[in-house]
Amino acid sequence: MLEIKAAGVQTSLQDAGRPGHRHLGVPCSGAADKLSFALANWMVGNSWSAPALECALGGLHVKFHDDTTIAIAGAEMNASLRGKPMKNFSYADVRAGDELVFKPSTKGSRAYLAVAGGLSGTSFLESVATYTLAKLGGIDGSLLATGDKIKYGDEVTEAPRALPAGFAPVLSNHIVLRVRPGPEVQHLKDTSKRELFIRPFTATRATDRMGSRLDGVKIEGEYSKSYTSSPILPGTLQIPPDNRPILALIDGHCTGGYLRAAQVIRADIWQLGQIAPGTKISFHRCFDEDAPKILTQRNATYSHLIDGFSF
Amino acid sequence: MSLKPPRIVPYGDAALLIQYETDGFSKDVASAVQALATSLRANGYWDEIVPAYESILVAFNPAQTSMESAKRKLENKVINRDSASVKSGRLIEIPVCYAATYGPDMGNIMKSSGLSKKEIIKLHSDNNYLVCMMGFIPGFPFLSNVPAPLHHPRHETPRLKVPAGSVGIAGWQTGIYGLESPGGWQIIGRTPEVIFDKSRKAPFLIEAGDRVRFVPITAKAYEAYHA
Repeated sequence: MLEIKAAGVQTSLQDAGRPGHRHLGVPCSGAADKLSFALANWMVGNSWSAPALECALGGLHVKFHDDTTIAIAGAEMNASLRGKPMKNFSYADVRAGDELVFKPSTKGSRAYLAVAGGLSGTSFLESVATYTLAKLGGIDGSLLATGDKIKYGDEVTEAPRALPAGFAPVLSNHIVLRVRPGPEVQHLKDTSKRELFIRPFTATRATDRMGSRLDGVKIEGEYSKSYTSSPILPGTLQIPPDNRPILALIDGHCTGGYLRAAQVIRADIWQLGQIAPGTKISFHRCFDEDAPKILTQRNATYSHLIDGFSF
Repeated sequence: MSLKPPRIVPYGDAALLIQYETDGFSKDVASAVQALATSLRANGYWDEIVPAYESILVAFNPAQTSMESAKRKLENKVINRDSASVKSGRLIEIPVCYAATYGPDMGNIMKSSGLSKKEIIKLHSDNNYLVCMMGFIPGFPFLSNVPAPLHHPRHETPRLKVPAGSVGIAGWQTGIYGLESPGGWQIIGRTPEVIFDKSRKAPFLIEAGDRVRFVPITAKAYEAYHA
């Protein structure tokens, strides 16, 4: 069992989410940065999708009540274990009574703490991913709070293993997202069609697991007619009438009523989880024929390492 | 019913959008969308099938299917769909109390329509609505069009909290808040029925493709519902 001594800004239990239910209004949820999450699980010997803690922006303080093996990955939070620095993207054996502390994030937004055997939570549609809006998964569907206790899972694990060089993603406070045009891109003004790709935007404080409001050059669209509510996905960039783009993230609504200007390609979706308030975001056009090549290459790199994983 | 075949266009690199051409709400399009979504779901092949008023988002895993082959599969389905095999959804009766306590925006609709409250209730409830889409939140059914006199824009500034079960109008749409949530719809009543309950064996009371009929109930009946 582990105990939350301080939950930090926003910490939740996440797994690979509950895909396939958007027609019921239920988003996939799950780890916002699927890659770092999978790597943390890999290091402790779990299957890549085992439930783990996701800590946004830092401040998580955990006490372990039983011996186990842990791994950390994702945003750089200068973690310390038993008062000594613990390297990001590494694993460590812990003894009952040991404590782990994450400082505020200096690079990226979300860090993952995986525990050998996984962690246990309330399951809904075969996932313990926390989705606070509908109070699903996690512990009572809520963010973790001081005093919460979480049992280790009983998933069969392999021996812990160190991450080989070159597999930890390089995180940056300036994220480049490759996109394909959205279905209403032709409703953007011509200048805005270009400006979307010129200067970077900045994620505002209105950034959470649902979405990120972006500051920057105003993106203007045709709003003489209103748009019928239509499906959106994580990585859909919408332009509301106030001209400030909204990027949908992993807990984003299943439908939206604004102009859909662009869609982030599959290989870059994991990066959405590392957007923090203040992160610079540049959009790059991805050509039709390039997206599958990029994805095939990325999948080849990681599926050799992580059994069953794909972006 | 003869509809122009929909366009099938890429949505990012892992989904396609089946888009019908309409000008405002079309009952024929909405029915075609539900029928096609049902038949696609029977395939068990797609990652997500999200029907909406005039389009269907179909997601796939690009590591397993190329965009071209996914598009071909959908085109074949659109062409070869056997419309006779599509069964119509369930008809679900939803009790609604239109009393002022539960429908704070009834006055707005009275003003814009020039109708009495009784007439509005009659217009709103004397209709079988098609459930066209679910979302933005779990269990929120977006229903087909309300009669023209009831059309009313959303609030300019959304309420921070709309109680679960609230029944609202936005433009020509009507819907039910499955959960307490922020929202900008004009609220004209509330159902005591629990639309979404994660602990129930069937958590979702309503699904896309069903039809919904509102049955007016008194405040007394509303309060007695859970007693």
